[in-house]
Amino acid sequence: MTMTTDVRAAVVARGLSKTYGQGDAAVHALRGIDVSFATGAFTAIMGPSGSGKSTLMHCLAGLDTVSSGHVHIGDADITTLSDKQLTLLRRERIGFVFQAFNLLPTLTAEQNIRLPLEIAGRQADQVLMDRVVETVGLRDRLSHKPSQLSGGQQQRVAVARALVSKPQVIFADEPTGNLDSRSGAEVLSFLRRSVRELGQTIVMVTHDPVAASYADRVVFLRDGLLVSEVTQPTPQSVHDMLLKLEA
Amino acid sequence: MLRTTLAGLVAHRLRLLLTSLAITLGVGFISGTFVLTDTIEQGFRQLFTADADKVAVAVTPKDEDIPGDVLAKLKALPGVAGAQGLVRGTAPLLDKSGRAAGSTATSGISVATGPLDRTIYVSGKAPGGPGEAVLDENTATTRQFEVGDTVTVLDVAEKRRQFTLVGVIDVGVDQNLAFTGAVGFDTATALEMTGAKGYHEVDLAAAAGVSPETLKKTVSEALGRTYTIRTGEELAQKLALDSNVQLDYLVLVLLLFGCVAMFVAALVIYNTFNILVAQRTREMALLRCIGATRGQVFRSILLESVVVGLISSALGLLVGLGLGALALSALSRFDAPVPSDATIALTPRTIVLGLVVGLLVTVVAAVLPARGATRVAPIAALRSQVEEQTFRAGLARSISAGLLLAGGLGLTAVAIWVLDGDIGLLTAMGGGAVFFLGVIVIGPVLISPLSAFAGWVPRKVFGVPGRLAVDNSRRNPKRAATTTVALTIGVTLMTLISVITTSTRETVVGSLDEQFPVDFMITAQYGREDGRPLLPSEVPAKLRALPEVGLVAELRQVDHGGVTVGSLPDGAAFRPEVTSGSLAALGPGTVALADDQAKNLGVRVGDTVPLDTTEAGRVDLKVVAVLADGDFNQALPYTVTLADFEKYYGVVGPARVYVKAKDPAAVDASRRAVESALVAYPTAQLSSAAEVRGEFDEAFDMMFTIFAALLGLAILISLLGIANTLSLSVHERTRESALLRALGLTRPQLRGMLSIEALVLGLVGAMVGVVIGVAFGWAALQTIPNETVFVVPVGQVLLYLVLSALAGVLAAVLPARRAANASIVGSLASS
Ligand SMILES: Nc1ncnc2c1ncn2[C@@H]1O[C@H](COP(=O)(O)OP(=O)(O)OP(=O)(O)O)[C@@H](O)[C@H]1O
Ligand SMILES: [Mg+2]
Repeated sequence: MTMTTDVRAAVVARGLSKTYGQGDAAVHALRGIDVSFATGAFTAIMGPSGSGKSTLMHCLAGLDTVSSGHVHIGDADITTLSDKQLTLLRRERIGFVFQAFNLLPTLTAEQNIRLPLEIAGRQADQVLMDRVVETVGLRDRLSHKPSQLSGGQQQRVAVARALVSKPQVIFADEPTGNLDSRSGAEVLSFLRRSVRELGQTIVMVTHDPVAASYADRVVFLRDGLLVSEVTQPTPQSVHDMLLKLEA
Repeated sequence: MLRTTLAGLVAHRLRLLLTSLAITLGVGFISGTFVLTDTIEQGFRQLFTADADKVAVAVTPKDEDIPGDVLAKLKALPGVAGAQGLVRGTAPLLDKSGRAAGSTATSGISVATGPLDRTIYVSGKAPGGPGEAVLDENTATTRQFEVGDTVTVLDVAEKRRQFTLVGVIDVGVDQNLAFTGAVGFDTATALEMTGAKGYHEVDLAAAAGVSPETLKKTVSEALGRTYTIRTGEELAQKLALDSNVQLDYLVLVLLLFGCVAMFVAALVIYNTFNILVAQRTREMALLRCIGATRGQVFRSILLESVVVGLISSALGLLVGLGLGALALSALSRFDAPVPSDATIALTPRTIVLGLVVGLLVTVVAAVLPARGATRVAPIAALRSQVEEQTFRAGLARSISAGLLLAGGLGLTAVAIWVLDGDIGLLTAMGGGAVFFLGVIVIGPVLISPLSAFAGWVPRKVFGVPGRLAVDNSRRNPKRAATTTVALTIGVTLMTLISVITTSTRETVVGSLDEQFPVDFMITAQYGREDGRPLLPSEVPAKLRALPEVGLVAELRQVDHGGVTVGSLPDGAAFRPEVTSGSLAALGPGTVALADDQAKNLGVRVGDTVPLDTTEAGRVDLKVVAVLADGDFNQALPYTVTLADFEKYYGVVGPARVYVKAKDPAAVDASRRAVESALVAYPTAQLSSAAEVRGEFDEAFDMMFTIFAALLGLAILISLLGIANTLSLSVHERTRESALLRALGLTRPQLRGMLSIEALVLGLVGAMVGVVIGVAFGWAALQTIPNETVFVVPVGQVLLYLVLSALAGVLAAVLPARRAANASIVGSLASS
C-alpha cells in the first residue's frame, strides 16, 4: 500500500494523532495518520463506527486541536495557528457541510448561502452564485426559511453555501446521513458535479458504500489508523473492503 | 416522578440560580421592610414601656395647658406620692454667630428630677438652678456646643438670656423635639422662658400600695372631663400608637416598591420556566412516551417551582434581615428619630409572609409554563430540531390588549379632564397601571418593529454579527417581550418620577423667581408663636435707612375670620398677574381677589364683598381686580393697600420683607449691611433666592435619590431576567453558535453578537418605558390643580436609554463569554 503524495495536495496531514482524556481514561482516537487530499478531487473517508472519521475531519478542518502531528491547508500549517488565525483561515479557505443543523433558522436560504461571504466581508461572485443556485435547483426556494425546506433541500442549501465562497476545500461529515436515498443521491451527484465542473476539492466522511462510490477515492480508517484506500470506487468494491476490515 | 424532578433541578441548578436570585431579592425587600419597621416599633415600645414603669398616671390637657393650681390639687390627692408638671414651649437658641438656630425655633422644655424623671442623659447632669440648661444631642452637635459652654436663649420677650450648659440629653423618639431641637431648664425657668401658662402634661407617682388604676379613678373623680387621664401603661400604648401611624405610612410606601420588585421577579420566573420547559420539550416528550401522564408532567414542573420558591424565599428572609439592619443604621446615621440600639426583630409574621409571598409568586408564575409542558406531544421526542417559535397575535390577545389599552387611556382621560386632586392623581396612576397591563399583553406584537427600530444602527454598524443579533432579538417575540417588559417597568417608573420631580422643581423655581424679584427676603423664624410668624414692625424702616439697600418692600398678612388678607407690597416687581380688572385701581375701600376666592364667592370686578376686620369691624370692599392663581404667595385671597390694611388690622409686623441691593453689582456688600442691621433681631431669617433654590434642589434631589434607590431593586431584578433569558437562549443556540464559529465568526464577534442582542433588548425595554413614563408623567401633572409646567428631563431620559442599553450589555457578559468559549466540536455534537 502506497501513500499518495500529491504536489498539488489541498490538505496534507503528517503524523496526526489525537488523544482524548488522560491516564487510564485516555482514548486514542487518531494514532499517527499521514494522508493528503489532492486539489480538485472528491475523497471519501470510511471506517467502522468509532474508528476516528469525525475526529480526523475536525482536526483537518481546524475545528479541533491535535495532540501531535501537523496539518497543512495549502501553505499554512494550521496546527501552529492561534484561534483567531484559525477562524480567519476557516472563513477564507474552508467550507463545511454537517450531517444536520447546517443552517441558521432565522435566515432565508439565500441569506444562509451568502453568510460565509458576508462574515468574511467579501462580495459574492454573482456568476458563480447563479450557477450554484441553478445547479442546486433552488432558484424558487431562495426566499424560504430552513423550516420551510425539506431535509434534502436543506442539505443542498448547505452545499451551495460551502461552494459559493470558493474554499480551498470542503469538509462534509455524513452530509447524507439524515436523507432518504433519493435526496441523498441528489446531494451526492451535486457534490460530484461541483468537483468535475468547478474544480472543487471535497473531503467527505460517510458510512454508506453507495455514497462513497460517488468519490474519486476512498480512504479507510480503523482504530485511529489509515488502513487502506480504493480509487475509482464502486459500491461493490467499497462494500467488500469494509467487510474485509471488519473481519 | 419526584426523583426525576429533583434530578432535573440539580441538573439545571445554574440556570435556576438567577431565577432564585430574582425571588430572593424581592422577598428580601419585602421582609426587610417588615424587619425594619418591626424593629423600630419594638424599640419604641421598649422605650415607652420603660417610661410607663415610672409614671403611674399621666394627665394631659384636651386644649389649654394644665394650670398650676390643678397641679397643686393633684399633688394633694390621696394616693399621690409625687407630681411633676412638664412644660413645653418655644425658647429660640442662638447659634454661635448670634442668630436664632434653624428655621424653626428650638423647643423649650422642663427637665424633671426625682422619681418621675424620664430624661436620658448623654453627658452631664440636670439643670440645677435658673442659670443652667441642657441641650438635645443633635442640636449640641450641629451647633457645636459642649457641656460647660455658655448658651444664649431668647425668652418670651425676645430678650437674650445666658445659661451654662450642664448636660446633653437624648430626646429619644419624640418626633417634635427631634425636629425642632430642645433646650431644657428646671421647671420654674422653663415656665419663665417659654411664657407657658401651664403644663402640657402632669405625671403622677403612686404612693405605696396604690395601683395605677385606683389612682386613675381618684384623679378622674377630682378633675372631671376637662383632662385626659391615662395610666402609665395606657400612655405608653398611646405613644406607641402615635408612632405607628407614621410607621404605617413608611410600610405602605416601602411595600409599594416591594410589590413592584415582586411583580418584576414574577415576570422573570415566568420567563425562565417557560424557556426551561421549551428546552426540555424532548425530555418531557420522552417522559410522556414512557408513560408519564399529563398530570405527572404538570406536577413535576410545579414541584420544581415549589422547591425553587421555598429555597429562594428562605434566602430572601436572610437578605431581608441584612437589609433591615442596614436601613436602620442608615436611618440613625441621618439622625432620624428611631430607637438606634434596638435588637433586630424577625417576627413570625415576617417569616410567614416572606415565605408565603415568595412561594406564591414563584408557583403562580410557573403555572402557565407548566400547563404548556403538558401540551407537549409524545411524538416531539422524535423530532430532531426544536421548532422555531412562530408568533401570531391571536384574536383573544388583540381584544384583551385593546380593552386594557383603551380602558387605561379612558381612566386617565377621566382623571385629567373630570376629576382633580388626590382622586384624580390616583385614577391617573390606576389608568397607567391598566394601560401597562395592555402593553404587557400586546408586547410580543411590538417587539418585532421596536427591535427593528432599536437595531437599525447596530445592524448598519456591526455587520453580520449585528444583523444576526437583531434577528435573534426578535426571534422569539413572547420571550423577548416578557424579558424587556420587566425592564420597562423600572424605566417607566424612573421616567415618571424624573418627569414629575423635574416639572415640580421647574414650577417651584419659576414661582421662586416670581417670589424673588429681589435679592433677599427676610422672614421670621417659625414656631415662636401660634399662627403666622411676624417680624418686628420697625425692621423695614431700619433697612430703608441703609445706604446699600435699594427697594425695601413689605408684605403684611393676617389670618382673621377664616380668611387670609394681605397688603400689596410696593414696587412694580410685586404686581401679580391680573385676570380681570386692574391693580392700578386698588385704592381705599377696594380689594383685589384671588381667582379661587372670586369663584367661591361668585363675584366679579365691580361687585362688593364684605370683610371682617379687627379694627374697623365689618367693611364692604369693592372688587377692582381678580388675580391669577398659580403662584405661591402673591395671590392671597384678599389683597388691599397697605394703608387700608393698617386701618383694618392695626399696625402689625410684616410677614415678609423684600430687599433689593441698590447696586446690583454689590449684592454681597448690601447683604452684609442687612445682616448687621438684623443683629438686633436674632429670629429674623435672611435668605437669598439662590439659597432658597438650593434648599429646594436639595430636597428634590434627596427625594429623587430615595425613589431611584428603591426602584433600583426592581431594575436589578429585570437585569437578572435579561441575563437569564440570554444565557438560556445561548444554551438553546449552542449548535448555532458552533456553526457560526465553524463558518468563520471569531470569538469576539460571537461575544459581540450576544452583547448587541442584549443591547437591543435593553433599548427596546427602555424605549417603551420612557414613552409611557413621559406620557403618564404628563397625565399625573395635569391632575394637580396648581398650574404646573410640564418639563421632560431630556438629558435624564436619554441617560436611561443609554444606561439600559449598557446594562443589557453588562447582563450579556457572562452568557456571551460562555458561548464564545464553548468548543466548536463539542457544541456541534450536543443535541
Ligand atoms: N470528546 C471526546 N472525548 C472522548 N472520546 C472521544 C471524544 N470524541 C470522540 N471520542 C472517541 O474517539 C473515537 C473516535 O471517535 P469519532 O467520533 O471520530 O468516530 P467516528 O469514526 O466518527 O464514529 P461514527 O461513525 O460513529 O461517527 C471514539 O472511540 C470515540 O469514543
Ligand atoms: Mg462520526
